[in-house]
Amino acid sequence: MNLDVRSLRTFSRLAHSGAEKAAGSLTTLAGIDTYVNVTKVELGTKSDVENEFAERDLVSVHIGFSGGLDGHTVLAFSPESAERLVDALMPGIDATDAEGELAESSLKEVANIMLGGFIDGWADYLDTTVDITTPTYVDDENDGPLDHVDAEGFENGGDDEHVLVFRNQLEAADNAIEFDLYMVPTASSIETIVEASGEDGALPVESFAAFSEMINDGANQASEDITAMTGIDTTVEVSRLSFVPIEGVPMSLTDAVRRGVVLEFSGTPSGYIAILFDEPSAENIASSLLPGMEGDEAMRQSAIQEIGNITTSGFLDGWANALETTIDISPPKHVHDIGSAIIDPLATDLAQSQEYAFLIDSTIRTDDDEFTCDIYALPDETELRKALKQLSPVA
Amino acid sequence: MQVYTTDTPAARSGRIKVGIADYAISGDESTLTTSGLGSCIGVALYDPETRVSGLAHAMLPEADGGGEPAKFVDTGIELLLSEMRAAGADIDRVVAKIAGGSTMFDFTSADGDGSIGDRNVAATRATLDGFGIDVVAEDVGGSHGRSLELDSETGDLRVRSAKSGNHVL
Repeated sequence: MNLDVRSLRTFSRLAHSGAEKAAGSLTTLAGIDTYVNVTKVELGTKSDVENEFAERDLVSVHIGFSGGLDGHTVLAFSPESAERLVDALMPGIDATDAEGELAESSLKEVANIMLGGFIDGWADYLDTTVDITTPTYVDDENDGPLDHVDAEGFENGGDDEHVLVFRNQLEAADNAIEFDLYMVPTASSIETIVEASGEDGALPVESFAAFSEMINDGANQASEDITAMTGIDTTVEVSRLSFVPIEGVPMSLTDAVRRGVVLEFSGTPSGYIAILFDEPSAENIASSLLPGMEGDEAMRQSAIQEIGNITTSGFLDGWANALETTIDISPPKHVHDIGSAIIDPLATDLAQSQEYAFLIDSTIRTDDDEFTCDIYALPDETELRKALKQLSPVA
Repeated sequence: MQVYTTDTPAARSGRIKVGIADYAISGDESTLTTSGLGSCIGVALYDPETRVSGLAHAMLPEADGGGEPAKFVDTGIELLLSEMRAAGADIDRVVAKIAGGSTMFDFTSADGDGSIGDRNVAATRATLDGFGIDVVAEDVGGSHGRSLELDSETGDLRVRSAKSGNHVL
């Protein structure tokens, strides 16, 4: 199977307009202004997706679809968001007590309407009909969220096989309710959509999968390097490759204040990387690098810069090896600002020549929540495609 | 976010979120908000008589034929004005407050014609000037990020930044 940028754009557009329909139905149904924040086409493994659900204790409603397209859609909420939504729909119902069943059925009803609207958009585009199954409610005490997707995934394989996931982040205007709308089509359905959008310079999906593995390796190396430097055990919580409209890149971050570094890398590919910590994490990591010292602001800055440097080279060195190229890294620039505003100039610079971006984001964290480190890499799209060609099995 | 459509859901909660490469208008007491302006520019327009207001969040100075019009300063402002006019605003009365357009990093690509932030500010002034709209207040440039809230009732534009705190334009 081949994927190209044009079909990724089609996917992205369909997912976005489907999500807008879904948001619109919630606005009508519950009177809650709902917006589609970001639409991402993600390539990850089934276990990545499952880990994310487990990590965030997500409550979800699943609906299968079949006919002109086959696969699964999932509407996922944090337990708090689910509770607030139920409260908005049925004021006075306590979602946590014995009346939980009522809460469950109202979430199922919401999912039915929203996911139905979402799938309709895809069916219209393909000029086909798609039937949806009755909703299933899944909480963290039940099976894994993607259990139903077994043998319907991207490569029909096990946990390490790649799946193409369409993820839409939606939120209510007052930020109180946030949820994700996932869609996981089967491999043959992806092919159907790719064919409908016409291939143009397509790359075998294996290249994307190989690149995604390279990102995982880079994140693991960065995590090891951080551990070696700080003496604190860290693990890679999530690491993924997604395809997003360029304006969606800064919107993936909130306006919470972050501290970290931004670097420019050049080679094949060139692009930008940002290593960001929330404020408590930055504080903790700086103290672990300056043990027993009352470091002043300048010392803390240089500690953050140092960790940014180490993390970046750990993250990117593997790429250079796999791609048999050299990637040069600029000196790290210290940043301490609104998270989305830090990423905004990076995305804007690329926006001069591209409408969509491949966004790589990884999260490294300590087991005890002492710190969390987010890595965002934004390679130049054309150069990344060149690099991906080198990873093609037939190249 | 209105990346592919320009339908603005009816406001019920009093806050309308403007995404990046996006704009929205309000004819009532809603607050229009947008966050994460780095090199991007926020353009707040207000007709004091009808209290029709609008907020745009643009990424790049000029449309070059492709892409969503709301992504660019020139086409974004034009669109915003035409929606405000349709909602009853009189362009002769409309005033502007602008914020954003900072230069946070010295990228190698910025050689020559200035940073994107600076070019966004210049394009905003030129476009507004072309419509005969005065910029009555501004908080532009520098090297820090900003988030905005436009109060449609009063035309006040609240600017939040991590470094210099909050202030009202």
